[in-house]
Amino acid sequence: MLNKLPSSISALLDARANGHSLPAGLYVREDVFEADIDVFFHNHWICVGLDCDVPEPGDATVIDIGKTSLILLRDDDGEIRVLHNVCRHRGSRLLDPGKTIVSKLVCPYHTWTYELTGELSYAPHMGKDFDKECRSLKPVTFKSIGGLIYVCLSDNPPEDIAILEQAMVERLAPYDIRNAKVAFQTDVIEDGNWKLTMENNRECYHCSANHPELCVSFVDLDFGFDPETLSPEDREQAEEHLRLYEERTKAWESDGFPSAAVEQLADCATNFRTQRLIIAGAGESQTHDATAASSKLLGHMTRKDLGDTHLWGHNSWNHFMGDHAVVATVIPLSAGKTLVRTKWLVHKDAVEGVDYDLDKLTDVWVATTDQDADLVARSHAGTLDPAYQPGPYSRFSETNLDKFASWYIDRMRAHGY
Amino acid sequence: MPAARAALHDVWNPEEDDALVCLDVQQETHDVKTFTFASREGKRFVFKAGQYFLFDLEHNGDAENRCYSISSSPHRTNAFSVTVKRVPGGKISNWLHDTLVPGATIKANGPLGHFVRPETSGRKLLLLSGGSGITPVMSILRELADSCEPADVVFMHAGRTPQDLIFRDELACIARRLKGLRLHFLPETVAGEPSWPGLTGRISKDYMRLAVPDITERTVMCCGPAPFMAAARTIAAELGVPGANYLEESFDAAVIDEPEIPAVQEAAARVFQVTFSKQARSIDVSGDQSVLSCAKKSGVRIPSSCANGVCGTCKSKLTSGTVDMNHNGGIRQREIDAGFFLPCCSKPLSDLVIER
Repeated sequence: MLNKLPSSISALLDARANGHSLPAGLYVREDVFEADIDVFFHNHWICVGLDCDVPEPGDATVIDIGKTSLILLRDDDGEIRVLHNVCRHRGSRLLDPGKTIVSKLVCPYHTWTYELTGELSYAPHMGKDFDKECRSLKPVTFKSIGGLIYVCLSDNPPEDIAILEQAMVERLAPYDIRNAKVAFQTDVIEDGNWKLTMENNRECYHCSANHPELCVSFVDLDFGFDPETLSPEDREQAEEHLRLYEERTKAWESDGFPSAAVEQLADCATNFRTQRLIIAGAGESQTHDATAASSKLLGHMTRKDLGDTHLWGHNSWNHFMGDHAVVATVIPLSAGKTLVRTKWLVHKDAVEGVDYDLDKLTDVWVATTDQDADLVARSHAGTLDPAYQPGPYSRFSETNLDKFASWYIDRMRAHGY
Repeated sequence: MPAARAALHDVWNPEEDDALVCLDVQQETHDVKTFTFASREGKRFVFKAGQYFLFDLEHNGDAENRCYSISSSPHRTNAFSVTVKRVPGGKISNWLHDTLVPGATIKANGPLGHFVRPETSGRKLLLLSGGSGITPVMSILRELADSCEPADVVFMHAGRTPQDLIFRDELACIARRLKGLRLHFLPETVAGEPSWPGLTGRISKDYMRLAVPDITERTVMCCGPAPFMAAARTIAAELGVPGANYLEESFDAAVIDEPEIPAVQEAAARVFQVTFSKQARSIDVSGDQSVLSCAKKSGVRIPSSCANGVCGTCKSKLTSGTVDMNHNGGIRQREIDAGFFLPCCSKPLSDLVIER
């Protein structure tokens, strides 16, 4: 991409000071939004859904990202497919947004009909000599990594997805996410830039003041703290917590459950972090009392004391626990609007009201997601204020934000901005 | 309840008796129930395993007749059972499921039918069933088990998923004590039970050859939905089962998955009323024409394209009635189960009401 002239965005990238949040324009300008979609959502791997979004042949769901619309479906052989939602005739959208069941993909405009593999099977009134070859729906490069669907819309998908894949396939295997069931889903549209959504998710500095429900099971200290500002008592507790980590991680790993942190947050294309985290209190699950919400555990899990395997990407966060998983994907809608799609997964045979109580399953993250939406909106409104000036990240509890902002600048530059 | 226990010699007389009392309703699978009936006078039933009863029902003011095979053993004479699958759009089977409770009375004629074990005893049997077609062969098997007759029976039952296999537990029980019984279950998919240990799919020549290598030495008795029976018949013939050793429950008497379907031959000649409920229009469609082509000719517009069951553009909700549909992939079984059909490749088998 060296053939691009320096854009007005380049000046904003140059203006970013190390250790500080981004200049306002990078959060609020429409031209930056367009560039973000191009760089981070069309040229990097993004998580768009799950195998179990389409459990049976003929299940399909449409995911819109910027101007791109994707069809995620399961074909008649039970295979997952991701296709562009653009008819090869005159480009009409085939399916509407949301979930549906299809037997064929039929364009509503002129009824061009495609097999679920994408192959064009019927195109009326195009003449006997019409060659249907090479008129299939365009496939999208994708990977199902432990049941999470990652797509890359570029012709040159970053190869370092392999490191994420290597780490997660083994970690996710016992949860068998491919065969889980979506018990509940929410779509929350946050009034803020997608980067503020992601930054908010990467620190727990704000947790104790804002997430009373989550803090029952989540340990805010896990993502850093300043020992100097803690009371002697709290410091002792924090140190004890770190000791406990070492011990638990060792025990989990010796039981065959990879747990240590794996992260690739800077100097890379694919940005991710995973670690098996300790769940506080009762230690089982992210619920209001930290006990499991589903009595039927996920996949082949036989124990509830395996903590919370968390996974970040640059457009997703996930928590895999013994009894359920919470998976969230982030899709920017405009410079100041971002869709956060959260799904709660349970074992596919778990029955609502019998094996799990839906309220108990969802209330912590429903509350947390709403609270986060509010925080992101406040944050975004502030960046629109002429008085906004990038501020310093905490070197204790916001180091991951500094890495995220630096990665963001690097990747923009790598794509010619 | 039967008014009084009748004297032992009092036997249900098909010429005179027709009043039954429902004694019990048993949920067999998620969409199959067994209904057990006694004579109102407490009479004994004498029938042959494989026979059926013709029930007289009144449904929304119309008199309706339906045949249901007996699923219980003829050795149990105080009461007999029929086993009925709920069918999408099947008004009588659904009515039975929804309304028939113990204590209700109902009229029926029977026993009727000739789908019975050939007299020559000692013959080796293959009892082959699909879906609720299991009822007559289940009666045969229960009789063999009850009478402790030396048996050489292969009992093969096919269903949509393991959870649709009717009498699964009881069959396993019988197989443990009835020497000479071999069970084969064949679900089409493992949906709902991913740990299913056996094979899945539809019956085929290869499957049959492996499962029943001595099929040519057996008397084959088959009951199931029409496509299942057609496939079984072809496979058996190709594997060399002599026609004389192949018995199937005749189409109009069988308790199959589509009990409301009259014989196709008869349907083709008949004219049915097809109503489009949203347009308040009714047209006549003869049994040998597609619903879509008749609709078009009569000026009723349904969105459509391929006209041969590929694209699914004409997919419509069938509120009542049954059709003979020959689609080419334009509709899924799940959609059919939900009451949808493709008018372009469907011929009516009864009056229809279509939500269009």
